[in-house]
Amino acid sequence: MRMLIGASATVLGGVVAVGVVGTSLAHSAPPPRQLRASVQGVASTPEGSLPHAFLTLQTWPDSMAGPHGKDGGAQPGWVTYGPTTNLSVPAHSLVTVTIQQYDTGEKITNPYFAQVHGTVGNTMTVDGKTVNAVDPAHIGHTFTLHSLVTNQDPLFVSVPLPAVADDAPALANGYPKPHTVTFSFITKGPGNYVFQCEYPCGDGYYAKFGGPMSTQTYMEGTVTVTGTAATAAAAGE
Amino acid sequence: MATMTTQGPVAAPVPGTGGGLMRRLSVVTGVVVGVVLAFVGWLVSNALLPSPQEGNHKTDAVTLITLICWAIGFLVGVGAFVGPFRWLLGRDLSHEDEEFLAGKDEGVWRYFRFTTDHKVVGMQYLVTTMALFAVGGTLAMLIRTNLARPNSEIVGPLAYNELVGLHGIIMIIATIIMVSGPFGNFILPIMIGARDMAFPRLNALSYWLLFAAVPVLLSAFFLGGIPTGWSAYAPLSDQAPPGMDAFLVTIVIFGVSTALAGANITTTAVRMRARGMTWNRTPIFVFGVVTSVALGLIAFPMFMVAMVGLAMDRSLGANFYVASGGGNPWLYSNLFWLMGHPEVYVILLPAIIALLEITPVFTRKPLFSFNGAVLGIGGIVGLSLFVWAHHMYMAGWAPPLNAPFMVTTELISIPTGLLFLVLLGTLWRGPVWMRLPVMAVYALLWNFTIGGITGIYLSDVPVDQAMHGSMFVTAHFHYTLMGAGLTGALGALAYWFPKMTGRMLNERWGGIGFWTAQLGFNVTFLGMFAVGLAGQPRRVSDPAAMFATGNLVSTIGAYVIGIGMLIFLYAVLHSWRHGELAPANPWGAKTLEWQVPTPVPLENFTVLPVVTSDFYGYSENGSREAHPAAEPALTPAGVAGGGGSGALPPETAAPTGEGRD
Ligand code: HEM
Ligand SMILES: [Cu+2]
Ligand SMILES: [Cu+2]
Repeated sequence: MRMLIGASATVLGGVVAVGVVGTSLAHSAPPPRQLRASVQGVASTPEGSLPHAFLTLQTWPDSMAGPHGKDGGAQPGWVTYGPTTNLSVPAHSLVTVTIQQYDTGEKITNPYFAQVHGTVGNTMTVDGKTVNAVDPAHIGHTFTLHSLVTNQDPLFVSVPLPAVADDAPALANGYPKPHTVTFSFITKGPGNYVFQCEYPCGDGYYAKFGGPMSTQTYMEGTVTVTGTAATAAAAGE
Repeated sequence: MATMTTQGPVAAPVPGTGGGLMRRLSVVTGVVVGVVLAFVGWLVSNALLPSPQEGNHKTDAVTLITLICWAIGFLVGVGAFVGPFRWLLGRDLSHEDEEFLAGKDEGVWRYFRFTTDHKVVGMQYLVTTMALFAVGGTLAMLIRTNLARPNSEIVGPLAYNELVGLHGIIMIIATIIMVSGPFGNFILPIMIGARDMAFPRLNALSYWLLFAAVPVLLSAFFLGGIPTGWSAYAPLSDQAPPGMDAFLVTIVIFGVSTALAGANITTTAVRMRARGMTWNRTPIFVFGVVTSVALGLIAFPMFMVAMVGLAMDRSLGANFYVASGGGNPWLYSNLFWLMGHPEVYVILLPAIIALLEITPVFTRKPLFSFNGAVLGIGGIVGLSLFVWAHHMYMAGWAPPLNAPFMVTTELISIPTGLLFLVLLGTLWRGPVWMRLPVMAVYALLWNFTIGGITGIYLSDVPVDQAMHGSMFVTAHFHYTLMGAGLTGALGALAYWFPKMTGRMLNERWGGIGFWTAQLGFNVTFLGMFAVGLAGQPRRVSDPAAMFATGNLVSTIGAYVIGIGMLIFLYAVLHSWRHGELAPANPWGAKTLEWQVPTPVPLENFTVLPVVTSDFYGYSENGSREAHPAAEPALTPAGVAGGGGSGALPPETAAPTGEGRD
């Protein structure tokens, strides 16, 4: 009996130790600030007239320009989405996303991700031209939004972001002229989603899939579909 | 006890005058001096080094200097340099000083001092290993908690990378020392009939170096962690935060520590075996420990060199591994794996061979082919130096070498299989005396079969093309490191616990904990094989949703391991304090460590033993000897009898108090 109590107490102590270390770690990094899509009027869509929300993102070849501050934070050399990777969009709305893609690139491992999936009309525009795929040999990153294993409404949107030429001259901000990619998708009910890049850009990590590829605030982030079509723009900025 | 030392100019100081300071040093003064010197180092280096600009790396240099100052300060404060210092002053240690250093009549304080008694050092290693496993295990639980659901973000991805790196290196350090440290120090000298290690002061130094390295390693938590994984591949490690400086200082200190321990244990086993203990009468465990530490002696300097290069890259811009500066990251991977592969055998050999030592005792049969076992060990040690590039098949380095390395790797399964056969042959036709230490043998046979065979898969170049960098690899090496290595060490602990603590380990609770952990272990890592085969990469904090089920299974298994290990830990701690008092030879074993009284006297033997036969002659006259009468209910045949000894006690009494270094 005494052994039973002692053994249980030891197990309990272990659980507490894991809990304490875990919570303190979880709180050591503040959550990234959130970017909320701004709703501007209504748009007519294949699914009727819906609120129209807008988001603008960038993909940077390093972390000096993203959400990590001027010195690039803990991993200045990592590729990153910006201005943040914590996004929020309204439910039952048309969301139009504009991404400025500043990075160079190469051949994508999985050509499926060189095609456009899940957007309105299954197309996007690249520097004004409407396309449904780009050359798989010149991809910088992808923006791929998908659901978690939950029973919320499924959502899958994936667009390729074409690579900037290796020899493109740098502009005043130190980066080359970006490609501008625009696409729209329709949200359903509220829920939590994630997005990441599916082009293996985690240089130096196994199969280039680790590091920035699997790290939120770099090439991975969350999308919260909120219940109401809120109008506030870029809260918390 | 002796009154004369045979060495050195004997100044015969009165205790308390000569070396009065020495008598006040302990881990407390060590920490104080270490912290003070680290602070001074930090101040001075901050003030003197040029401020950061292109081409110099002030933060890294300051971190390196601070951590090294800590280590030096700690060693000075704990008294590591008292002997050499006194020798320089021409006042060598007196006999009383030596006895003080050996911890004579000091009670528990001797465990907190620079104590040279090998038994004290063994206990220090044991406690340190257990503490390291506790920390590494906590981190493992957090890793698995984070992976329980896809995109759970429990600890956040940056913290995840740091967790994986720290878990990896803490576990690697713990497993490297887990057998050679506690049992290699406490048991081995007695087992060969020696009074102490060949170099007792080096022995203490090797432990306190390890002790000094632990806070350095843990400081990485606060310096940005080790987000590269424990392999610290360049050029990632060139770019990593200052946590990497803590990592490399740890490795350098640990490298020195293992080198000292390796040289010491090897010398002891080669030079100090009892009279009559020829090599084929030397217990097999001695072979396991000696080959392990000797292999480490060759392997770890590679890692140290790699880390010194990294330190120069980071603090001075030396560009050893930075391609843009003319360096080569492949240099790093080669040095790393030149250490890395032999290292897995440094871990495995003593653990498996401890079980080879245990099995004859519980089957009352000689080891099945002693020579086969020695041959197997030799084959592993030899081949293990020529397989390292199987970790680099996919790195693009020297593709024509892939096939040769595949061959050497697959060859090594032959001597490994031989050890397996010896174990099976010894168990064959039991009857096995079912006590806790043998449980580890059964668990190992199962786990190591899985670990070994998946290793053969991975050694195959085309298979590795698909598996490389996946959770399949992680599952494979956990089956070997934990399923075989750690399991063997737990068996060794259960076996030698009565000799080391003077009490019996509670087998009921120990057994419950042990088997709970084994069950959880198989659930965890079979789950990990599954997700690995399905394509889940390792070192990735947010696995895709398609791997969710396998990951959840793994996480549940991991919690079962955690619960089992904690129960086992409790059984150990409780038995240590309150357990039943152990007789000198509870297992009726024949090796020498069981022939001395428990607790073992300071000098182990009043007269040195002479060995006239090997230690496995349990059935020499045709009939099996019975298990010790102390446990009649558990003996298979119900025959009473005493465990004989292969060693004939005193024949020629060697002079006592002979030169102890
Ligand atoms: C409670 C038991 C344990 C669990 C649940 C566990 C779990 C894990 C997990 C999930 C990883 C990360 C895999 C990855 O993403 O690459 C890992 C890595 C690792 N573990 Fe364990 N582990 C346990 C015990 C051990 C033990 C006893 C060792 C002994 C050597 C060990 C050595 C390692 C090493 C070397 C790594 C690689 C770290 C790296 O990639 O840098 N683990 N472990
Ligand atoms: Cu990318
Ligand atoms: Cu290997």
